[in-house]
Amino acid sequence: MSTVAVPSRAPRPGSPTPSAGALQKAAHHGVRWWYAVLVAIMAWGLAAWIDELNVGLAATGMRDVVSWGIYIFTFAFFIGLSAGGLIMASSAEVFGIKALKPLSRLGVLSAAACVSVAALMIIPDLGQPFRILNLFVHPNWSSPLVWDILIITVYFVFSVVDLTVLHRHARADAEEGHGTRAARLRTVVRVLAYVGLPTAVLLHSVTAWIFGVQIARAWWNTSLMAPLFVVSAVLSGTALVTLLALLAERFGKVSLPEETRRWLRGFIVVSLFIDLFFVGADYITMLWGNVPSERSALNLVLPGGSWSWLFWLEWIVGGLVPLALLLVPRLRRQQWSLWAAALLAMVGVYAFRIELVVVGFVNPLTQFPPGNALGTYNPSASSFQLVGAYHPTWVEYGIVAGLAGLFAAIVTVGYRRLDVMGTAVGAGPLLGPPPADAASRREPQLPEPGALGASVAS
Amino acid sequence: MVIDTNRCVGCWTCAVACKEINDEPLGYWWNRVLTTAPNQSTAAKAPASENIDVPYGVYPNVELAYLPVACQQCNDAPCVKVCPVQATFRREDGVVLVDYERCIGCRYCMAACPYGVRIFNWGDGERAPGGVIGYGKDYRVDGRLVFAPVRPKGVVEKCTLCVERIDEGQVPFCVESCPLGARVFGDLNDPSSDVSRLVRDGGAQQLHPELGTDPNVYYLPVARRVAAES
Ligand code: SF4
Ligand code: SF4
Repeated sequence: MSTVAVPSRAPRPGSPTPSAGALQKAAHHGVRWWYAVLVAIMAWGLAAWIDELNVGLAATGMRDVVSWGIYIFTFAFFIGLSAGGLIMASSAEVFGIKALKPLSRLGVLSAAACVSVAALMIIPDLGQPFRILNLFVHPNWSSPLVWDILIITVYFVFSVVDLTVLHRHARADAEEGHGTRAARLRTVVRVLAYVGLPTAVLLHSVTAWIFGVQIARAWWNTSLMAPLFVVSAVLSGTALVTLLALLAERFGKVSLPEETRRWLRGFIVVSLFIDLFFVGADYITMLWGNVPSERSALNLVLPGGSWSWLFWLEWIVGGLVPLALLLVPRLRRQQWSLWAAALLAMVGVYAFRIELVVVGFVNPLTQFPPGNALGTYNPSASSFQLVGAYHPTWVEYGIVAGLAGLFAAIVTVGYRRLDVMGTAVGAGPLLGPPPADAASRREPQLPEPGALGASVAS
Repeated sequence: MVIDTNRCVGCWTCAVACKEINDEPLGYWWNRVLTTAPNQSTAAKAPASENIDVPYGVYPNVELAYLPVACQQCNDAPCVKVCPVQATFRREDGVVLVDYERCIGCRYCMAACPYGVRIFNWGDGERAPGGVIGYGKDYRVDGRLVFAPVRPKGVVEKCTLCVERIDEGQVPFCVESCPLGARVFGDLNDPSSDVSRLVRDGGAQQLHPELGTDPNVYYLPVARRVAAES
């Protein structure tokens, strides 16, 4: 393990100075508690899944009218986070954005974690999960789902390889300076970045085509779907990496240079603008005409409709507010504005995913009573539904929470093991010892994570 | 199959007959009868209410028609195209079937079908007491299980066009049970069959022809007007 890595990773026990030792012990406790919480959440998720396996998907809030729910929109969200993280990380290399290079390993780690979680998210959605191998035994190549599974697999392997190479390169760089081995790995890093960028774009496009090519549902059937998915992926993926980097700054011992923050802000602002532009352009196209299936879907989402809370989340909470936080000079200077904007932007993208999937189903297929059969019997209500309804159950929340916990666990372990924020590719000086003023600014914050752990422990 | 909407009175006999012969559990409907305005296969008119049998329009200018909808047996079926494991397949003669032993329960076909005719087995279906009353035995096409009296949970099911019956030269049970003779069954490839004649000369139309699914179920438009003239 390289010595350069030490400043950035969580403190190790057994440090020479007593005060630092106490601090590290406390921090160690904090990490343990964090792991304990994650394990508890994952156990909850597993228990929920076992319950679902026994009862069948009847344990969920999905029925025949809204036949895809939280698993699918969370799946699409995680795929987006994954693709976005890798797009951000590889553009650092492809477009030579030096300030973002320190984040490339964090970006790839987050991409790998997200794609694993997304892939696992499909399994509880299947009615016959133990037949999943049929996907490989009898693939139907006209199904976008088969292509999606294929690209997810390729992408997962790719992100693991990329992470390994980046890690090796950083180590070689640190050990022998700019030696031949480091130089060789450097070439591989560049090649992988050039492969990674289109792969990530493709990953999210194929996921978009699962919905976009379906003629049955007017709400989905637009050629804008893939571009929209890609740009919202860049938005949410960058926002996630920003949050992770800020967490690392808070709990680890790295400091994000102002230049890096500026680029992150830029990525978020530009992708948020394009995202809202695409969504708005789609609304206008639907509003101008009077196609019943499109208008009835749009009316559900626009203010006054029963799903308009998603509109507000997407346009105000996850749209205008983060834009203001990142653009208005007085707000932009605040320390908290970047993480708040990143968090809200992610909320907005999640709202978009919910809106996409659920409204596609809620919007009546046949607009005539009694509508569609529900596939379930309720003695006090009709067996049919014209306008769909969907409320996730605790089983669904449990499984999604468990998988989100798995994501957090992978990132935490990866962060601590792989030293992803250490001397990154070609960016040594940027993440070197923090400047004096930054160090003094951070000083009083240092005990906090440990103190938190200690107080929970006592 | 051709359905004459002039004759349909919205009695739901075909839907109930289908439910019986296929042993569909409570809340499952492979076949349902929509309350529409005349000749509205696409939703140009907003429904008058969410209840069946409520006429469209304002008294005295009211109109009412019925549209029985089950699987349209599409020639270019989106459900067949999206099924990732080829569990849903189209037989040579045009019948679209689901292999209950292969379906993984992803429900992509339900998202893709424009007619909302597919039903998922969310749990173990509830059945009225008295046991199996329909076909009562498994049925295979090319070795693939396309009918079982009790479908396993976690798979999708839908109208099979009564393959059991048509393979023996009988008409589907909904056709046989319709008290008004509104349903006509036959071979669309045979130009002299009743169905071909109705499509050719009677102006029978498909549902959502604009989607390009090319269904094998056609509807004869309502020729009379039910509206009361003042
Ligand atoms: S009506 Fe639906 S289920 Fe039947 S063949 Fe067409 S797409 Fe498939
Ligand atoms: S639910 Fe079954 S039949 Fe439908 S697409 Fe999935 S595997 Fe095919």
